[in-house]
Amino acid sequence: MSEPTGKSFEQIMQDLNKMVGNLGKKSSGDKPSSSDPESNNRLQLVLLVLCVGVYAGISSFYKVEPSQQGVITRFGAYSGIAEEGPHLMLPFGIDQVYKIEVTRIHELQFGFRAESTLGEDRARQESLMLTGDLNVAKVEWILQYKIHDARKFLFHALNVEKNIRDSSIAVMRRVVGDKLVSDVLTAARVSIAQRAMALTQETIDHYDMGILITKVALQNVTPPEKVQPAFNEINIAKQEKEQLINQALGHYNKIMPEAQGKADRVLSEAEAYAVDVVNRSKGDAEKFRQMLVAYHKSPALTRKRMYLETMGEVMGRMEHFTIVDAKMKGILPVWGGGQDTTAAKAALMEKEGEDKSASSATISSPK
Amino acid sequence: MKNIFVLAGSVILLGLFLSSTYTLPEHQQAILVELGKVRGVPVTDAGLHMKVPIIQDVRYFEKRILQWDGERVEIPTLDKKFIWVDTSARWRIKDALVFYRSLRDVNNAMMRMGTILDGSVKDTVSRYRLLETVRNTNDIFKDIEQNKKEAELLLKVDPSDTTLEEISSDVDKIETGREKLSQLIAEQAQKDLKSFGIEIVDVQIRSVAYKEVVEDKVYNRMISERMKIADKVRSSGQGERAKILGQLDLALKKVESEAYRKSQEIRGKAESQAIDIFAQALQSDTEFYSFMKTLDTYKSTLGKKTSMILSTDNAFLDLLNKGP
Repeated sequence: MSEPTGKSFEQIMQDLNKMVGNLGKKSSGDKPSSSDPESNNRLQLVLLVLCVGVYAGISSFYKVEPSQQGVITRFGAYSGIAEEGPHLMLPFGIDQVYKIEVTRIHELQFGFRAESTLGEDRARQESLMLTGDLNVAKVEWILQYKIHDARKFLFHALNVEKNIRDSSIAVMRRVVGDKLVSDVLTAARVSIAQRAMALTQETIDHYDMGILITKVALQNVTPPEKVQPAFNEINIAKQEKEQLINQALGHYNKIMPEAQGKADRVLSEAEAYAVDVVNRSKGDAEKFRQMLVAYHKSPALTRKRMYLETMGEVMGRMEHFTIVDAKMKGILPVWGGGQDTTAAKAALMEKEGEDKSASSATISSPK
Repeated sequence: MKNIFVLAGSVILLGLFLSSTYTLPEHQQAILVELGKVRGVPVTDAGLHMKVPIIQDVRYFEKRILQWDGERVEIPTLDKKFIWVDTSARWRIKDALVFYRSLRDVNNAMMRMGTILDGSVKDTVSRYRLLETVRNTNDIFKDIEQNKKEAELLLKVDPSDTTLEEISSDVDKIETGREKLSQLIAEQAQKDLKSFGIEIVDVQIRSVAYKEVVEDKVYNRMISERMKIADKVRSSGQGERAKILGQLDLALKKVESEAYRKSQEIRGKAESQAIDIFAQALQSDTEFYSFMKTLDTYKSTLGKKTSMILSTDNAFLDLLNKGP
């Protein structure tokens, strides 16, 4: 690093000498009579010093941007850190300044590349990893870091980024290698990222590269492509299960209110019946009581009247009935026999036993 | 003429000065080579240094940590599983003199490291089971326990839940583990590399992957496991459905029978009430009631189609027989 500046320093000296020499020659060519070697020499020297001075002045000035830190070396050896702002240093490559971006967050991608600089095969190799139960999961993740010690970053390791990459790849597999594939694919995402971040930091701290990891985050975590359909199959099955349950529940919810409604109707009907029966019985009882009061006033007459009224009504609507003379014997004309009700029969039998006079007549009741 | 002498003199002086000093950057170390022979000890502190001009030459070497990027190698494990193992290592030039004598430069060193580290990786990995290169701790058993507990809890809430996905492949206890393996690799390689002035900082097993043939088997196993789970989920769905329909049946019967019971109760009560009411009313004159009821029964039972044979001595026909 110091060699190129050394050379340029020599070159500059030579160049300056040539320039000064040329100037001298020109001036002596223009005015040969008045040429004075003494004054010519002095002019050369002044010009030389002036040029070197200007160069030194310009090259000893530098500026550090707000996002940067300047690492200063003197004769190659570290001599200090320059924070943001304008600074002076020794010229001619004696002091050198390395400006390092210390606030910038760098991002590394694993298992995929946003700008596909890496072959698909390589990315695949990077993302496929074995889980603790010897299954395979595809894990993609990112890592972000920044340089928090510019001196260590510059002087402690070559290929800082490669070292971070190696560590992150190894650590992620170490973490995933201690997990079950089902956990990796579902629940353990956050804890894996956290653990990977802590362990990666621990690992790269051994190299003392002045790197601070600010974030490790898992991106896509999936089963390998070939296994993917089988994993989807489970989701499909779960949906089918949900559907079956929902259908059954729907059926349940459709049938039950209907049944409840029917049950309610049965109850209402029963209640209606109850009200009906009770009211009717009350009414009937009241009617009976009222009639009883009237009946007790002249029982015999009322009985007769009621009997005759009833018989009148009953007989009046019959299409046929037969009258047999009580004195007649042995005749029993048959007219649609057997249809007589027991009550009527009983009444007939009762009378038969008493009187045996017989006369028969048929009356068609008027319609 | 005088000018030329001054100029030449100063150039020579400057040249001598430059050739008697050298600057050593912070990230490098140097050794001095005097006419092809190594002199003294390596210089490691950065800064401006003196040397004998012209005859002494400076050789610079890295002082920083260097990375060795391994190729992936195919290794059978102790349990006869074929895997690809990809490692990388970090190293530094510990003794620049020995390093310079034996290897000359970093490129050469990388090649030598390649053979030594590859051998060390193969030796070590093939002496252990696959599990030992995959897992680092036995923490997985905690996870298995945890999963079981969670699944049991879920089962209590909902017995049809099938979150419990059993661990199919054998999960065995490990004794060494991935980290220890990479340390063993590093230690073995370090023994061989010491004589080259190289210090291994660490070796990292970047990745362990199944060989394609094994990979397919593993995938097939994973697929069949998933299918099993899917079937289980489906049949549990059927079970759930049957359960709900059963519940529906039960609920239906319950509602219907309860309604029947209640309605009969209501009817019964009403009937008994009615009977009570009647009985109370009838108690005052049962004879009249039976008379009246008999008449009512005649009215309701004897219809148009009824035929009757009456004797003339019937009370109703009394007058018909006797005359007025």
